[in-house]
Amino acid sequence: MPNPPRLDRRAFIRGTAGATLALPVLEAMGQEVAGQIPRRFCALYTANGMSLPKPENEITDWSWFPTTEGSDFEFGASTMPLQPFRQHLSFLGGLYHPSGPKADPHTCSDMWLTGAPLHDPGRDVYNSVGLDQIVALHTRQYCRQPSLVLSIDAGVGFLSRTGTISYNLEGKPVPAENNPRRIFDRLFRADRASLESQRQQLRRRIKLVDAVLESARSLSNRLGQSDRDRMDQYMTSLNEVESRLIASEKWVDVPLKAQDHSHLNLDATPEGEPHEYYRNMFDLIALAFDADITRSVAFMLNREDGMGISDTFPLKLGLSRTHHQLSHAGDRDGQLDFARYDLFLSQQLSYFFSRLQQYRDVSGSVLDNSIVLYGSGASTTHYPKNLPTLIAGGANMGLRHGTYWRNGETRMSNMFLSILRSIGVEADSFADSTGSLSNSIFTIT
Amino acid sequence: MRFFPIRSMILTLILLITVNGAPICAQSPTDVATHKIDDAVLASQFRKTVAPLLKKFCIDCHGADHAESGIRIDVLDDSLPDRHLRLWMGIRKQIAELAMPPEDETQPTPQQREQLLQWIDQALHVARTRPTENHGSVRRLTVSQYRNTLRDLLGLEEDLTDVLPPDAVSKDGFTNNSQAMVLSPLQVEAYFSIAEQALDRCIVDPDSRPAIQTFRVDLGRNINPEPFPEKLILGANNHLLPNADFIVSQPVPSKTFDFHPSQMRTKYRFHEGYQGNATVRGWRDYDSIYHAVFACMRGKKGYPKGNAYETVPGGLLLRPAIPSAELFGTESTYGPHANFKISVRELPTHGNFRITVRAAKYNDGLLLDRGQEAKLKANADAVTVQNPTEPQIAEIVSAGIYQVSVHVDSVEDAPEPKKPRPLLIQLGDREFSGSLQQPAFLVVRLPAGPLKVHVQDGGPTPVTTVALTRLPETANLADRFLTFERRQPRVGVHIGLRRDCGSTLSQVEMPQTVASSQLSDFIFRGDINNFASPDVQKDNDNYLAGIREIGVRSEYTDGRDMPRLLIRSVEFEGPYYETWPPKTHHSIFIESDHNHESEEYARDVIGSFAERAFRRPVTAAELTSLLDVWRDSLTATGDFRQSIRDALVVVLTSPQFLFLIEHSHTPEPEDLSDDELASKLSYFLWNTRPDDRLLSLAAKGQLRESLAAETKRLIEDPRFEQFAAEFTSQWLSLDKLDVVESDRDLYPRLTRETKRELRREPVRYLQHLIRNNLPAHNLVQSDFLLANEVVAAYYDMADRTENGFEFVRLPHDNPSLGGLLTQAGILAGLSDGRESNPVKRGAWLARRIIAEPPADPPPNVPALDEDTTALSLRERLERHRNQKGCVKCHEGIDPWGVPFEQFDAGGRLKNLPVDATSTLPDGTKVSDLQELRHYLASDRIDQVAFSFLKHLASYAVGDTLTYNEVEMLRARGLQLKSRGYRMQDMVRLVVESELFLKK
Repeated sequence: MPNPPRLDRRAFIRGTAGATLALPVLEAMGQEVAGQIPRRFCALYTANGMSLPKPENEITDWSWFPTTEGSDFEFGASTMPLQPFRQHLSFLGGLYHPSGPKADPHTCSDMWLTGAPLHDPGRDVYNSVGLDQIVALHTRQYCRQPSLVLSIDAGVGFLSRTGTISYNLEGKPVPAENNPRRIFDRLFRADRASLESQRQQLRRRIKLVDAVLESARSLSNRLGQSDRDRMDQYMTSLNEVESRLIASEKWVDVPLKAQDHSHLNLDATPEGEPHEYYRNMFDLIALAFDADITRSVAFMLNREDGMGISDTFPLKLGLSRTHHQLSHAGDRDGQLDFARYDLFLSQQLSYFFSRLQQYRDVSGSVLDNSIVLYGSGASTTHYPKNLPTLIAGGANMGLRHGTYWRNGETRMSNMFLSILRSIGVEADSFADSTGSLSNSIFTIT
Repeated sequence: MRFFPIRSMILTLILLITVNGAPICAQSPTDVATHKIDDAVLASQFRKTVAPLLKKFCIDCHGADHAESGIRIDVLDDSLPDRHLRLWMGIRKQIAELAMPPEDETQPTPQQREQLLQWIDQALHVARTRPTENHGSVRRLTVSQYRNTLRDLLGLEEDLTDVLPPDAVSKDGFTNNSQAMVLSPLQVEAYFSIAEQALDRCIVDPDSRPAIQTFRVDLGRNINPEPFPEKLILGANNHLLPNADFIVSQPVPSKTFDFHPSQMRTKYRFHEGYQGNATVRGWRDYDSIYHAVFACMRGKKGYPKGNAYETVPGGLLLRPAIPSAELFGTESTYGPHANFKISVRELPTHGNFRITVRAAKYNDGLLLDRGQEAKLKANADAVTVQNPTEPQIAEIVSAGIYQVSVHVDSVEDAPEPKKPRPLLIQLGDREFSGSLQQPAFLVVRLPAGPLKVHVQDGGPTPVTTVALTRLPETANLADRFLTFERRQPRVGVHIGLRRDCGSTLSQVEMPQTVASSQLSDFIFRGDINNFASPDVQKDNDNYLAGIREIGVRSEYTDGRDMPRLLIRSVEFEGPYYETWPPKTHHSIFIESDHNHESEEYARDVIGSFAERAFRRPVTAAELTSLLDVWRDSLTATGDFRQSIRDALVVVLTSPQFLFLIEHSHTPEPEDLSDDELASKLSYFLWNTRPDDRLLSLAAKGQLRESLAAETKRLIEDPRFEQFAAEFTSQWLSLDKLDVVESDRDLYPRLTRETKRELRREPVRYLQHLIRNNLPAHNLVQSDFLLANEVVAAYYDMADRTENGFEFVRLPHDNPSLGGLLTQAGILAGLSDGRESNPVKRGAWLARRIIAEPPADPPPNVPALDEDTTALSLRERLERHRNQKGCVKCHEGIDPWGVPFEQFDAGGRLKNLPVDATSTLPDGTKVSDLQELRHYLASDRIDQVAFSFLKHLASYAVGDTLTYNEVEMLRARGLQLKSRGYRMQDMVRLVVESELFLKK
């Protein structure tokens, strides 16, 4: 893991005791943060699977998965809008969660980022931690907000039909936000009063950590050498916690990066035009990444089992049935409409990628420093194997793109582990992983 | 020079796996000449013999220039510092096994090899027995110790420790090993947020009035004179009770303090609703408590005998809830078959709750299966009731046990009815329903006097007569009925939340026995946040979202016939406070003569809390710095309680609280201080903080003299169960059972409930052995089990016990059972869920039971080349063993595992005969597990006892034992042999050894 910003606590405390802030501290932090590639993660979920038409309907060119594997793959009709990003993305086939086929298929979105054995409930917690929250845990010290959790419907929905794909360390769903204006205000327009109370809280916490450090230090002085080593581990951790707190506290005053927000339409809502809504949500994610407000994003584009407003989006787009109904369609017309909805989603995704590519980072584009995971928890309706998966970006984290990768059946958790390692999280395992993905698009595994 | 990848891999491996104090290839010291070996002699031998040999045969490859596999032999000398011991052991193994030098290199003569080996053995012995310096010790509390300590210190039931990362597991399987422990910033952050949350839960504003939610559901047929008129629905597979059969009310509890009864919300507005299983949309307003509290059954319908449930005027009758496989697409995922629950939209967000179930044992009758009936001659007490489909009165002459036979018109012509028909018969005010398969329907006790008899049935042909025939006391059926009648249902309460798939219900405390047919109250307590919460958003608009469930069951053990459980009412109260402010508050803000806002009072409060938290008197410096925190916070916030809380956050995150510290002043061994001893003892035998008695003995300096008595007291205390659960689970790797996914088609009996009980068996067993100070041979061979009905039934011994979930001693004479090695929870865990696994079982036995640990498998073990599925197990093992790099270790594993082959992956004896013969590593032949167990219990009992002792000692001190310590235990342990290595004697040996008492 990269080193956290090194800050002089005393300098900070002196600084705040007086009227001015300790500017050198800010500069030091700026340098530290600027010196590293910001490694980001964005998970985008679409429900009900993707279109994989039946052969007898003779529309195989509308298959979401390319028909050839490897670097010779060709985009199908529904993913054609992604063609400009061919060298920045890959399709991944054969992925699945071993827990998937055992559980109620409607819970596949709950499991997508966690891999939890949802079929074996009765524990006091329903789910386990999701990939985005692990990333957040390890990137939060570099940015203002640990993570941004978005969904087509606000809140968490209810268990087994959840409206969020993000689960925290305790396995509890993280409430999602869906209103562009509220999201914008929270990310870019924090009001003074809430900043001030945030600061007060952080300062109080810092004082307590400081007191514990003092007490540990005086205790340590009375210990024998070998035990002092063990106590040092504790003090190092305490120091680390303190410097993270100080860093967070500092963010309160670091001005936001100057950005152009004029393209945003913050009045867009899920009740309006679907493409307008998605465009603005993707704009917000891109802006948040560009300003380094967060490095972990999870966005649920639509929900399983006909829940929520997104079920009606295909109708709004002039297609014949609702999203859930289309996913169940077996007839040619229905399957074609389902694929056309995939096409619509590909267009939105393509817009998002172009945004990420426009923004420049310390090194390369924001896209090069972000791993974007796009997929569903089922391939065709309720079939929790061969999960449609696309990964884009992350060139600066060792990802090598431009292929349709497939290696029999592969655990999603193994792929997740590779994502974590690419991001610099030194994890031994994730959920039910049995290893990482070697010989794949990841070169850091 | 050629590179030998496999060899170097093995060598590296050996260097990695040798455990401090448990050398895998070391000679036992008895093999080494016992006379004092002179350092000077060793040094001169090294110079004269050893060094030249090493130079000649090793250093070309393992010198400064090449350092093959990263190994340098040129740096070694005769001093054998600790950091070189592993390397020397590896070298010894390579030489002894003729693995080095490589076969195409010049080889030493056998004599030269022998010279090298002898010298290394002697030098290792000298090195290992060197006295080591002592530095006291610092151990972090394990997650479970931290959890228990926080609970006992604060009196807070809510478990806030989920966010802590799990402890690392040491080589011996223990999580309290200080060498394996790590600390991360994540963990430290978690300590802070747990401390803050916990204190916020405990500290209240004494002047406020707490809100208390209560509601009560009364049950009984047509009990509600004004049933809610709307049809209620709760989604798929919810069978709601008829609206007339229950009443929901919100009684105001009587309390000794002022409080605010919180009325449940009854007005709701939802957009997504349901018709059957289909979602319907459209805003609709709801306004009734009956849309907020529901009474329903869930799970698969259909019961082997009788109806799973029915309402009678006196309440709701329940049969035991049969566990389900709970696999989507395989069997009901809604929890046990037909389980009753109260679904509710609203429960408190925190705090203790109390659920009172008013219940009784139903004065029930025994339903008869086809073919079960007493062949009776007409006797004087027989009564025949004609036309029973109209209520009739029969005159029962003498009270007693009666067989009730129901005759249908057609029966006389065709004695076998074509198919069973549902039937309900009323006898007096009791009701019995079931399926009529033969005339003999029921056995029941009847009082003398007039008896109402009424049959309701929907069969095609009417019931014509009911015959009530008194059973003679000698009848088998009467006997069966008496057994049935003596049985007592057990009421259990569970809490979870509604899901479309799967049950999240978890048990609230243990089930309680319902012995009386008079209604009485059964109280279940817990903390609401220890159960699944629905995490529903505030503006939720889905009718089914966020619904929580309180399950009330007649608990199932093994399907034996038992009287039904009658539930009259269920009442919920939460948060439940005995007093206000609650005792969690009082235990912090203690009574004191000082003004309750003064500095003196702050000193009292913080000082007394810190003393309890640190498990010793607080130093003046500690108190001063805590008071500084308090003063600082008071200045900043102006809030006395808040500032106390801040100081206590510091206490709960200080190393004095989070660590078990033994201060050492010199490198020489020193006695533990009394405070240190009190903590060491209680964390060993209770897995939690010392109680007041231990601390006060320590304060008075009397703990050492009462050590034996205190050890005994701790073992007899209920908290000793925390030791049993923790130590047994870790020593015997019981967590394997938690993670193995047993194939439910192959092992349908291994339901979640059965697994839970089978996992308890070894824990209860070990606890029993220690508490009763029984000999160690019981670890591997014994003539009794410790089992409850579930466990006994799993071993086909259900008829030996009527003790429900209580584990009792069950004597048996089955030679293939008894001791840890045949316990199903252990054996099922050591499998892949489908097939038994002799390698896992063998390695487990070698490591845990006889402390002869094999080496770990090398990294990147290649898969076996060819497809071996067609081969027999023996052939497969052989094929495996012959693989390069595998053979050496597997010789020490497989022979121990093969005898276990008699037991399947569910831990039960296989039906088919199995070749379980094995030649053990020492050449002994055993024909099956029974012989192996006998061999271990007799010839190898020293080793079995030693293994227990070694694991126990390592757990007691929270550290890997040094070579000297292991050898001390080995020698000291032998003194217990004459008394048969009694288990509590071994605990005492550990506690009274310098290993434990010195630092």
